[in-house]
Amino acid sequence: MARQVVVLAGTNKGLFIFRSDVQRRSWRVSGPHMSGWEVFSVLCLPPRAAAGLRLLAGTSHAAYGPTIRLSDDLGATWTQMPASPRFTMESGLRLKRIWQLTPGAPDELETVYAGVEEAGLFVSHDRGESWLPVDGLNGQLRAGDRQTASSGRCLHSVLVAPTRSSRMWVGVSGAGVLRTDDGGEQWVTCNACLPAPEAVHAKTGTGQYVQKLALDPRDGRTLYLQHRCGVFKSIDGADSWQPTDQGLPGSFGFPVCVAHTGEVFVAPLAGEDERYMPDGRLRLYRSGDGGDTWAPCDNGLPAYPSYVSVLRDALAVDSLDPLGVYVGTTAGELFCSSDGGDTWQALPGQYSRITVVKAWANA
Amino acid sequence: MGSRQAGLTTGAGSATANAAPSRGRVDRSDALATQIVLLIGTTKGIFTFRSNEGRRDWQMTGPHLGGWEVYSLLGDSRDGPRILAGTHHQSGGATIQVSEDFGANWRPVEEGPRFPPQREFDFQKFAWVPGESGEPRQWTMRRIWQLVPGHASQPDTFYAGCEDASLFVSHDRGETWREVDALTKHPTRPQWGPGAGGMGLHTILVDPDNARRIWVAASSVGVFRTDNGGETWVTRNKGLNRVATDGDDREVGFCAHKIALDPNASNVMYMQDHGGVNKSVDGGDTWFPIEEGLGAEGDGRFGFPICVSQCGDLYLMPLKDSEQRVMRGGKMLVYQSIDRGESWHPVAGDFLPTSSYVNVLRDGMAVDSLDPYGVYFGTSSGELFYSLDRGDSWSSLPGRFPRITTVKTWMLES
Amino acid sequence: MRIDVSIPSLLEDCTGGRRRFSLDAATLDEALVRLNTTYPLLRHHLYDEAEQLRQHVLLFFNDQNVARLERLDLPLRSGDRLAVLQNVSGG
Repeated sequence: MARQVVVLAGTNKGLFIFRSDVQRRSWRVSGPHMSGWEVFSVLCLPPRAAAGLRLLAGTSHAAYGPTIRLSDDLGATWTQMPASPRFTMESGLRLKRIWQLTPGAPDELETVYAGVEEAGLFVSHDRGESWLPVDGLNGQLRAGDRQTASSGRCLHSVLVAPTRSSRMWVGVSGAGVLRTDDGGEQWVTCNACLPAPEAVHAKTGTGQYVQKLALDPRDGRTLYLQHRCGVFKSIDGADSWQPTDQGLPGSFGFPVCVAHTGEVFVAPLAGEDERYMPDGRLRLYRSGDGGDTWAPCDNGLPAYPSYVSVLRDALAVDSLDPLGVYVGTTAGELFCSSDGGDTWQALPGQYSRITVVKAWANA
Repeated sequence: MGSRQAGLTTGAGSATANAAPSRGRVDRSDALATQIVLLIGTTKGIFTFRSNEGRRDWQMTGPHLGGWEVYSLLGDSRDGPRILAGTHHQSGGATIQVSEDFGANWRPVEEGPRFPPQREFDFQKFAWVPGESGEPRQWTMRRIWQLVPGHASQPDTFYAGCEDASLFVSHDRGETWREVDALTKHPTRPQWGPGAGGMGLHTILVDPDNARRIWVAASSVGVFRTDNGGETWVTRNKGLNRVATDGDDREVGFCAHKIALDPNASNVMYMQDHGGVNKSVDGGDTWFPIEEGLGAEGDGRFGFPICVSQCGDLYLMPLKDSEQRVMRGGKMLVYQSIDRGESWHPVAGDFLPTSSYVNVLRDGMAVDSLDPYGVYFGTSSGELFYSLDRGDSWSSLPGRFPRITTVKTWMLES
Repeated sequence: MRIDVSIPSLLEDCTGGRRRFSLDAATLDEALVRLNTTYPLLRHHLYDEAEQLRQHVLLFFNDQNVARLERLDLPLRSGDRLAVLQNVSGG
């Protein structure tokens, strides 16, 4: 298979697939795939054995509910999976959307995890064809529900330690960070030192406002968290958190992303109520020193007013050198940097709200 | 052919990001030289664009009320400049806010539209009654979908269309509002079922020749008309295709998306609804389809906005179909009719060199009253386009904004 | 009795790519059971975990909303139509 880069951009009205060579300058687009369906999560599973590249999409519709679809021919055709994630009748829950699709550890080539709304985790051991609930976590989240309001909570981040597949973390809006060290049976809450919610939410835990969680792929122990009240870092696998957003223009934002180089990218917004770019300027921030300092990246991003935002999963990196960074906005524009964020170009096309961006390279 | 970018300055009054109400200054002399203001409502506040009649260079202000969803806007300068905004917040609470200095400062109006404190509407008595305590309120003020001035003979009168579907009127330029409850008490009310986008009363048309004749339209309910200033209402849906709703009553269950009155004959009206494009020549008594040239069948006649210029040119923007609410084939296409709806044709072809998978919401298109007239539209992707030559060429106002819900043109009194 | 069934185009991949197809059944409730057992993917999109019809989905039997029928054991006649529709919604 030729060296190529595949970028998947999900929107609220279908999926678009971009392909390029490792230069990442000139792109071929296909789509809309699954037009009319929300695409909140996507994943490329690398080829293995006799199986080629597989694309997975977590699709949903306000009327018809969620389903996993997969393609083994680079998006030409898509098949719905009959055994998509679904809660039981007894649980009293209704699965609304699939927020995250993450592969298992490097030695678990058939494993995929799905994070869903209402908050829950599912796992597949056949590359996304059939799914089972991770009861250990889902049960624990329901137990927490008896003290908190649970509607609208989503499990948006799923991280697997690269060297230790029994260790995983999840990020749940409304519950915070949870970790397992036994492959998903038992989970502990890891919100120590995160800001407490306002008095009106005093009954709930401190994990109320975890927007996104990311893992440094180099050591599998350092994590970053974008909270409603800032960016936080843990160097001990989420046992404790420290603020690490000095130099950022604002503490409110959604995505956080860590590259294989250790660089961290965030997209802060003007405020909790003003959910658009500060000063109307589309800009990301990058840290090359583990969050101690941050620098703006906007060279080549539009100079015109951009009162847009970047949703929590619409910021992505690839595994190439030089590093590729990709961002999609709520105004349906996509941008790519093929030099680690120093300079940017627009990807072709104008789309509706971009909900997820993922990049995969087979170099 | 692509569109070209209009000149833009972000002038006095453009807000920097902060949670407090915008406190920019506005240069008064600058404001008097302005002849036209575009009011742009979005899901994250308001932007305004000001220009003279040349409409080549624009001065932008905003975001104003950046933390609010804004579904309706009205600019009025008959007695001092006044902008009314129908706003609602994620945490609930729909209200009307007003600016008297072209958007620099805002405050809630004295008493916005609200339903009576009693919780339930009793269909036997046709009156509001106290409900069971602990029960959620049945009929809530969720959004304000439309704000329009009243008849020219009543300069202090404004109307508001709200969700849940209702009509409110103000006689003091929008400071206080009362419900036109004859509409809410219409015998079909028990059968009004919401569309999932909200049961909003999104269209209000006052007959310019007759202050007592008003039409309104609400999503998934249909069209109503009054001939006595709002005391009684009749449904006007004959000839329209019904839509799938929960209700049973065959008098309602229609989904007009937008209606425009012919500027020269107020018995003539044009409608883009859920099932297609229609016209009436008898004040809404009957409707018939006008779809020649739209190049689509069945569900492909779906779209949201429709508007008409002072000389009777019609514009609309059809989408792919009701299940895929994006531009057909990824091309930004505006359709025009210059023969009162007898036939339609696309104008200007491609706006952009690359494909565009967006849509335009029902209140996202407007026409000004200058000559030559300008036609403007804003998209779900926060882009703004306009044409000054009846659609032959288009310019874009530079920028990407939050999802655009309403575009209104406001001509200033000189 | 063979009746015609139509579904929204967005659900075509639940029924082998067909928006319109036929179904054999003696009564309306038998037709609904047949529809759901023959097309399990469709069933997932029409009914939620509590086996309730999803909130914004409507089933129409000829011109009538199935949810408002008093009984479902209505015998089917030639020309009867079953339609799955989406409750009108915003964009």
